[in-house]
Amino acid sequence: MAAERPGSKRSTVMATYQEFIQQNEDRDGVRFSWNLWPSSRLEATRLVAPVSCLFTPLKERPDLPPVQYEPVLCSRANCKAVLNPLCQVDFRAKIWACNFCFQRNPFPPSYAGISEVNQPAELMPQFSTIEYIVQRGQPTPLIFLYVVDTCLEEEDLQALKESLQMSLSLLPPNALVGLITFGRMVQVHELSCEGIAKSYVFRGTKDLSAKQIQEMLGLSKPAASGQQGRPLAPQDSAASCRFLQPVHRVDMNLTDLLGELQRDPWPVPQGKRPLRSTGVALSVAVGLLEGTFPNTGARVMLFIGGPPTQGPGNVVGDELKTPIRSWHDIQKDNARHLKKATKYHEALANRAAVNGHSIDIYACALDQTGLLEMKCLSNLTGGHIVMGDSFNTSLFKQTFQRVFSKDYNGDFRMAFGGVMEVKTSRELKICGAIGPCVSLNSKGSCVSETEMGIGGTSQWKVCSLTPSTTLGLYFEVVNQHNAPVPQGGRGAIQFVTQYQHSNTQRRIRVTTIARNWADAQSQIQHIESSFDQEAAAVLMARLGVFRAESEEGPDVLRWLDRQLIRLCQKFGQFNKDDPSSFKLSESLSLYPQFMFHLRRSPFLQVFNNSPDESSYYRHHFVRQDLTQSLIMMQPILYSYSFHGPPEPVLLDSSSILPDRILLMDTFFQLVIYHGETIAQWRKAGYQELTEYENFKQLLQAPLDDAQEILQTRFPMPRYVDTEHGGSQARFLLSKVNPSQTHNNLYAWGQETGSPILTDDVSLQVFMDHLKKLAVSSSA
Amino acid sequence: MEDMYVTAGNQERGWNDPPQFSYGLQTARPPPRNLLNKRAAPPAGAGAPPPLYSSNNPLAPTQCGLAPPPLHKGPMMTLKEAGRSQSESVPDVEAVVLVLKRALAACRQTIGDQVCNDVDKRLRLLEDGWRSGQLSVPVKRRMDALSQELQSGHWDAADEIHRSLMVDHVTEVIPWMVGVKRLIAETRNLSPELLQLLHHPAEPVQEPVSQS
Repeated sequence: MAAERPGSKRSTVMATYQEFIQQNEDRDGVRFSWNLWPSSRLEATRLVAPVSCLFTPLKERPDLPPVQYEPVLCSRANCKAVLNPLCQVDFRAKIWACNFCFQRNPFPPSYAGISEVNQPAELMPQFSTIEYIVQRGQPTPLIFLYVVDTCLEEEDLQALKESLQMSLSLLPPNALVGLITFGRMVQVHELSCEGIAKSYVFRGTKDLSAKQIQEMLGLSKPAASGQQGRPLAPQDSAASCRFLQPVHRVDMNLTDLLGELQRDPWPVPQGKRPLRSTGVALSVAVGLLEGTFPNTGARVMLFIGGPPTQGPGNVVGDELKTPIRSWHDIQKDNARHLKKATKYHEALANRAAVNGHSIDIYACALDQTGLLEMKCLSNLTGGHIVMGDSFNTSLFKQTFQRVFSKDYNGDFRMAFGGVMEVKTSRELKICGAIGPCVSLNSKGSCVSETEMGIGGTSQWKVCSLTPSTTLGLYFEVVNQHNAPVPQGGRGAIQFVTQYQHSNTQRRIRVTTIARNWADAQSQIQHIESSFDQEAAAVLMARLGVFRAESEEGPDVLRWLDRQLIRLCQKFGQFNKDDPSSFKLSESLSLYPQFMFHLRRSPFLQVFNNSPDESSYYRHHFVRQDLTQSLIMMQPILYSYSFHGPPEPVLLDSSSILPDRILLMDTFFQLVIYHGETIAQWRKAGYQELTEYENFKQLLQAPLDDAQEILQTRFPMPRYVDTEHGGSQARFLLSKVNPSQTHNNLYAWGQETGSPILTDDVSLQVFMDHLKKLAVSSSA
Repeated sequence: MEDMYVTAGNQERGWNDPPQFSYGLQTARPPPRNLLNKRAAPPAGAGAPPPLYSSNNPLAPTQCGLAPPPLHKGPMMTLKEAGRSQSESVPDVEAVVLVLKRALAACRQTIGDQVCNDVDKRLRLLEDGWRSGQLSVPVKRRMDALSQELQSGHWDAADEIHRSLMVDHVTEVIPWMVGVKRLIAETRNLSPELLQLLHHPAEPVQEPVSQS
C-alpha cells in the first residue's frame, strides 16, 4: 500500500508526501494532520497538533462502482470490522485474520472460489474505499416537508412560492412532499389529488407534545386508540399520506395550493412585528415525520423571513422597539429569550436526529432571524442553513436549486440517515468528531476517555450528507512512553458509513487506512515532514470554532496562540533567545499564516458580525471539505495583469497594485477589484478599441474565473465587482494582511500596494512576536 | 446556445446579489476548471517586509497622467459571443398545442377524468397565453422543442426541457407548466397502442395548422 512509500529518501520526501496526501484524499476522502504516527501518548502530546483527520464519508468517486453484496464482518462480537485489504488471508484454508482484533475468521460459503488470483474487490489495495449496496427492508421514497413562513412581504412571498413550485419539478416523481404554513397560526395542509383542500390549524402559542400533535392530526397508532390486534393497516399509511403525498400524484393541486398562498391575514399593528409561530410549526413538522416515517430519510425545509416572535422557541418579542439580541446583549447577559429558545430548538433537533430527519433553514431577511437560537436544528441533523436578504434574489433561488443538484449518475447529491462508525487498531482510540452530527453513544474499547469535539462514542449519526460533508475526527495514541508501539508496524483506522442513497438504496461505504508508526525521538524529522499543514490548520480551527461556541472569544484565541507557540517551539530551528535565527521547515511554513488569518476570521471574531452571521459562518466552516474550509480561513487572491498569466499573490495589502485586477474568494464572497490604472483605462473605454483587444480580454479573464466558482459553489456567494476607491473595496481591504497601514506608510515608500487604515496587527508583527515567544528560554 | 446564459442578480433586494445562471449552464458538465486554489508562498522569512515592487515599470501610473494600456500584439482572439442573437422563426402555437392535445387524448383512455380535465384546463391557459402574446420567444421555442421530443417519445428530453423552463422562466410558465409536466409523465406510461395515437392521429395533422 501507498502508506509505505513516504519517509524513505530524505531529498524526495516533500514531493512524495504531497503526492501521497493528494492520492489519499482523492481515493479515500481523508486528510491526516500527521501521516506518520508517534509511537507513544506522550510523544503525541508533544507534537501539539493531535493525530486527527478530515474525513469526507461520501466523497464523489465516479470511478468507484458499488458492489452488490453485503460486507464480510469480523465474527468477534465487539469488533465486527469489515474485511479489507489490510487483512491477512489464508487462501488455502479460506480464513482471514482481522487486522483490528486479530480474530481468525472463516470466509462465508459464497467466497469458496477465492484464491491469490481470484480475489474479491475488498481485498485489493486499490479498494481501500469500497461501497456496498445492501438490501434491507423496504426501500422508502425521499420525503420533503416544506415549512413556510407567510409573514413575508408580498414580493418575497411571491418569489418563494415560485421557487417552491419550481422545486416540484426538480424532485423525483415518487418523492413524498408535504406542506406546513405558518404565521400567527400553523396550518398543516392535507394534500389530495382531488376535491377541496383541507388543512389542520394549530394555535401558534401552545407547546404540544409529539403525542398530542399526532393525535390531532389523526396519526395515532391503533393501539393508542384502544383497538388492539389490528395490524398496522392501510388506514395508517393513508392517514400519513394525507399530509405527505408522492409528487407525481399531487403536483397539480400542490402547485395551485402554493400559488394561492396568501400573506398571513392577521393585521400587524404599527410598531409591532408580525406574530410568527416558527417554534410550533417546527414542532408539528418534527412530530408529523416522527409519527409517520421514523428512521426514514426526510428533509424538513424551513423558509423564514423573520425571527420567531410567539410561542415556544421565540427569539424576540413582537414589540419593534425591543431589538433582537446582539453580541453586546449576549455578553452583558441581557438576551432574555436566548437560553430558553436555544433549549427548545435543541430538543426539537435531537428528536429529529433520533429519527434520522434533517432540518434545513432558509432565512431571508435584512435583520436577524434567530439563526443563533435555531442553528442546532441544522447543525445536529446535517441540514443546510442558507442566509440571504430576500427570497427574490439570485442568491436564494440558485442556492435552493442547487440543493437538488445531481451527480454524474443523475442521482441527487444528498444522502440520508448516515451512521458513521470508526474502528481503530489497538494502539489508537477515538476522542471525538466535529461536524454536522450527533453522538450515538456507542461506547467500546476504541473510545477514549479524553473528549475532543463530540466524544465518548465511536458512532455518530449524520442525518443528511452531501458528497462534500466532512467530519473532523480526533484520535489519541494509547501506548505509554515506556511501552511504545514497536517500530515497523502500522496503525489502522476503518470508517464504516451506512446511509440511504438518494435513489433509496441502503448502502455501506467502508474506508480502511493505515499509517506507519515512528519513534518521535529518532525519527522526528520524518514525522515533521509527514505533517499536512493544511489539514492540521483546518483541524485545529475546527477545535477552536467548537470551543468558541461555548467559551469566550479571547480564551479561544489564547488557546490557539498557545498551541501555535508550542508547535513553533517543537519544530522551529533557532538559537535560544535569538528571534532572528528562527526558521520553520517547508512542511510547516504556511501554518503560522493560516493561524494569523484564522484569528482575524469571522469564525472567531464576532466584531462586526451579528450573532446570526457568526452562527451562519461557523455552520459552514465545520462541514466543508479541506479546500473550501481553507478558503474560508485564508481567502484566495489571484492577480490578473499584462505581466503574465493569472497568478496567486499574497493576501497582503502590498498585492493591491494599480495595474492589476484582483480576484478574491472568501467562500462567502467573490470580490473582483480593479486597480487604479486598470479602473482608469476601463473608464476611458480602451476595451472598446480593437487595438486594445488584449485589455478587453484582461478585463474578461477574472470574470470568467469567477463565473466558474459561482457555478459550483454551495451556497451561492455574494458577488462584488469594485475598483480602487470604490466603497465595496472594503471587502478586500478588510481581508488582506495590513502590511502597510497609515502608521508605517512612510517606512515603505509610496506606490507599493495600498495602505490600510487599521490598527490591526499585521502578519509581520504577529510573526515577530511568535518568533520571540518561540525562542524565549522563559516561555 | 440560447439556453446557456447569465443574468444579473437582483441588486434591489439583495446586496451584492450574484448573477443568475440558466438551467442549461447549471447542469452543463463544467469545463475542466481553472482551479483557483493556490496560495502565494510567503516571503522567505515570513516576518520580513513584503518585497517592494519595482517602480521602473513602464505601466505604473505616472504622475503626469494616464498612460494607455499596452497595445495588442499577436493574433486576435475571437471571444465567445453570448448567443442570444439567434434569428430562428418563432414557432407556431398550433403545432405545439396540437401535439399536447393529442397526448392528452391518448391519456384519456387510461387516467381519470379529473386529472385530464385539470391538464386540459392548463393546456388552454398555455394556448390563451401564447395567443394573447404573454409568452416570450425563448419560452415558445423551448415549448416547440418540448412538443417535438414528446411526439418522438423522448420522455427524458421532454422532461428536461420542462425542468429548464421551470427554472429559467418560472413566472411565465407556472400557470400551465405543471399540466405539461403531468402529460409527459402520463404519456411515458402509455401502452404502445395508445402511443400510436400520438404519432398517427385519427385526424390529419395539417388540418388545424392550415386554419391559422
